[in-house]
Amino acid sequence: MFESFLSGLAVVLQPMNLLILTSAVFIGFIGGALPGISGVILVVILLPVTYGMDPTAAFMLLTAIYGSTVFSGLITAILYRAPGTPEAVMTAFDGYPMTQQGQAGKALGIGVLSSAIGGLVGTVALIIFTPLLASVALKFSSPEYFALAILGLTVVASLGGRLIFGLIGATLGLLIASVGIDPLTGTSRYTFGSLHLAEGVGLIPVIVGLFAVSEVMKRTLGQETHQPLKKVSVKIFDMPILRRIGITLSRSSLLGVIIGILPGIGASTAAMVSYSETVRWSKHPEQFGKGAPEGIAAPEAANNAAAMGALVPLFALGIPGSGTTAIILGAFIMHGLQPGPMFMMTSSDLIYAVFAGLFIVNFMILLFSKPFIALFTRLLNIPYSALGPIIVMCCIVGTYSVRNSMFDVWLMLGFGVLGFLLEKIRFPLVSIILGLVLGPIAESELRRSLAMSQGDLSIFFTRPISATLIAISCLLLIAAIIVPLRKRWRIKAATT
Amino acid sequence: MFKKHFLVAASSLGLTLMGSTTAAIASSDAAADFPSKPLQFLVAAGAGGGTDNFTRTVKPMLEEVLGVQSTVINLPSASGALAHQRTANSEPDGHTLDFASSTLVTSLAAGQNPTGLDELTPVARMQSDVMTLIVDPDKYPDFESFMAHAEENPGEVIIGGTHAASPDRMAFLSFRDASGLDINFIPYDEEGSVSANVMGGNIDGMFGEISSILSYMESGDMMPILVFAEERLGNFPDIPTTVENGWNLTDGNERGVFVNAETPDEIVAKLESAFKEVYDSDAYQEYEERVNLHYREGWLGSDAYGQKLEENLELYKRLLEQN
Repeated sequence: MFESFLSGLAVVLQPMNLLILTSAVFIGFIGGALPGISGVILVVILLPVTYGMDPTAAFMLLTAIYGSTVFSGLITAILYRAPGTPEAVMTAFDGYPMTQQGQAGKALGIGVLSSAIGGLVGTVALIIFTPLLASVALKFSSPEYFALAILGLTVVASLGGRLIFGLIGATLGLLIASVGIDPLTGTSRYTFGSLHLAEGVGLIPVIVGLFAVSEVMKRTLGQETHQPLKKVSVKIFDMPILRRIGITLSRSSLLGVIIGILPGIGASTAAMVSYSETVRWSKHPEQFGKGAPEGIAAPEAANNAAAMGALVPLFALGIPGSGTTAIILGAFIMHGLQPGPMFMMTSSDLIYAVFAGLFIVNFMILLFSKPFIALFTRLLNIPYSALGPIIVMCCIVGTYSVRNSMFDVWLMLGFGVLGFLLEKIRFPLVSIILGLVLGPIAESELRRSLAMSQGDLSIFFTRPISATLIAISCLLLIAAIIVPLRKRWRIKAATT
Repeated sequence: MFKKHFLVAASSLGLTLMGSTTAAIASSDAAADFPSKPLQFLVAAGAGGGTDNFTRTVKPMLEEVLGVQSTVINLPSASGALAHQRTANSEPDGHTLDFASSTLVTSLAAGQNPTGLDELTPVARMQSDVMTLIVDPDKYPDFESFMAHAEENPGEVIIGGTHAASPDRMAFLSFRDASGLDINFIPYDEEGSVSANVMGGNIDGMFGEISSILSYMESGDMMPILVFAEERLGNFPDIPTTVENGWNLTDGNERGVFVNAETPDEIVAKLESAFKEVYDSDAYQEYEERVNLHYREGWLGSDAYGQKLEENLELYKRLLEQN
C-alpha cells in the first residue's frame, strides 16, 4: 500500500500533473469563495472538459477541485457572513464576529490551518483505512442514521441564548424541511400545488438568504456602526491559538472522517455536528457565536475531513458519500471505469494517484491560501455601498444556478428579510439550519427503520450503534436539564 | 427578400387570426428552415446522473448532424416535472427539447407531474436499460431460494429502491402484482443507499439496472437473480427472466427526447431522423457499450414510443391504485 502511494506520488509530481493540480486548486478557490458556486456546480461544469483527458489526470483535477472548494467557502463566510459553500455555514457563526472585532486575519488563519489539518487527517484515513472504513459504513442503516440525527438535534439545548428561541428555531427548520413531496409515500406536503415547492426548500436559498442577504440589509440600513477593516494579514501558524484549538482540531477531524464515510450525509452535516459537539464539550459555551476560535476550527476541520471521508465508500464500494461524490461517480462511469468493490483492485494505479493528489492539495491550500486571501481582501477596500450590491448579485446568481430556478431566488430574498427581522430579536439562526439539515434525515430514517421492523420501536435499542447513540443523546438531554438546576440549588443553598 | 418578409408576416398574422389551422401551412416552411436558432436541451434530472450524461453525450453529436448550437439546462425540481412543463409551454417550433427518463411516466401515474402525455410528443427513445431484481448471493444464491423464502415468510421480505414514484417502485409493484408475493418496499433517497443496505444485509434486495452493479457482481457482493426481459440476456445467460416465469414484465428504465405536442409533424420527423443518425453512429454505440446500456435495443421511433408510454401509464396507474 505504501509502495502504491509512493508510485502514485511519482505520477502526481510529473510537471503536467502538478500544473493540473495547481490550476484545479485555484479554480476551486475561486468557485468556493463565490457564494452559491459550490463544488457540485464546478465539477459538473468541468466534467465535459475532462472527457478528452487521460483518466488519471481527469480525476486528479475533479477531486482536487472538490477538495479545495470545501476549503475556500470559509473566506466569504468569515469576511462577509456569506458562506461560499453550504459546508461553510457553521464557520460564519464565529468567523464573522471575529471579523467585526477586527480579527479577520486571525480568523482566516485558524480556518486555513484547520481545513488543511482536517483534510490531511481525512486523506490519511482514506489512504490507510479505505477498505476497513467501508465495512463500517455498511453497518450504518436507518436506525443508526436516525439516532445520529437525534444526537445532533439535542444540541439545541446547549446552544446558548434563550432556550425557547432555540426550540422555536429548530422546529421552524423541521417545518421548512417537511415541505415538498414526501420521500416515502410521494404525498405532496405544503406545496400549495406549486411545482417549485415539490422538491422542497433547498438548503442554499435558506442559508444564503438568512445569512448573507440579511447581513447586507443590516449593514446597508446602517443599524450597526461598522469599523472599516484594516489590512488583513493572515497568520496561519500561531502557537498559542494552536495550543488552544488542538483538542478541538483532533476531535473534529475524527468526527468529520466518520460522518463523511456514511453514505448520504456529507460535509455540511459533519461541520454542523462537530460544531455542536465542540459547543457541548466546551468549558465556555457562552463564548460561541461571539468569535470563539474553536467555533471556526471545529466546522473547518470537520468539513474538510468529511469531504475526504466521503470518498471512502466511493472508492471502496462505488457508493457516493455525498452530492459531489455522486457526480464524480458519474464521471467514472463516463470514462468507462467501473466503480464498485473491485475498483481498488482493477484501477489501483489511478486511485493511488488520486490519493496522492489529494494529499498534495492540502499542502497547496496551506501554501496558496495566503496570497489568494490577500488578493481577495483587496475587495474590502471597496466601499460597502458598492460591495453590498455585488454580494447580493453573487447570491442571486449562485442561488439561481443550483436548480436554474427563479423561484429559489425569490425564496432566498424572502429568507433574507426573515433573517434580518429575526436577528433584531437576537434569534439564534443556527437552530433553524440545524432543524433544516437534520430534519429530513431524522424523519425519513425513522420511517424507514419502522418499515424495516414492521412498526416495532425496539429496533432502535437492539442494534448496538443505534442504542449507544440514543443513550448518549438521552444522557446529554438529562444533563442539560439537571446542570443548570443544580447550579441554582447551590446558589440558593449558599444564600440561605 | 420582400417576399419572405411578407410570408412571415402573413403566416404570423394568420396564426393570430385563425389559430392552429394555419399552423400546418406555415409548418412546411418552418421544417425547411429548422433549426433556425440554437436548440435548448432541458434535462429532467440533476447534473451528473444517467439522463444528464445521456444528454451531454448526445449534444455534440446532434449539433453536428443538424449543424446548430445548443445549450443544456438541468431542471431537476419535482423529479423533472418542471422540465416537462416548460417544454409543453415552449414555442412549438422544435427548438426546445426535453431529455427525460421513465420517471416522466411514473411520476405522471403517481400524480406528481401535471404535464400529460397529450402535451408532449415523443421524438425518440434512445436507451432501454434492463430492470433486474438484485440480492446478496450469500443470502439468496438464486431466484428459487428467494421465492421460497418470500413465500414462507409473508410480509417479512423488504425490497429497496429509489423514491416512491420511480421506475424501481413500478418494477416492484408489477412484480408483486404478477407473483402474488407478500413483500414490502422501502424507498431511499438515492441508489447508493439502497445498495449499501443490500450489502449490509439490512434489506433483502432491490430493483435496479444491471449496468450499475457490474462491479458488485464481479466481487460477489450483489447478484441479479431475475431479469425483466423476454429472453435471457446474451451476456448473462444464467439469469432467469420474468417472461419464462410466466410474468409479462419487460419494462426497465428508458431514456428519450420529447417536444411540445403542438410541434408540426415535419419538424418532429426531422428531429427523429437526426436522432436516428446519432443513434446509429459508431461514437454513440461506443458510448452505450462503455456505460453498459447495450444489452438490448434502445431505439424506438416517435409513434411506437408514444404508444408504449400510453400503455405504461395505464399499467402504472392501475398498480398504484391497487396499492
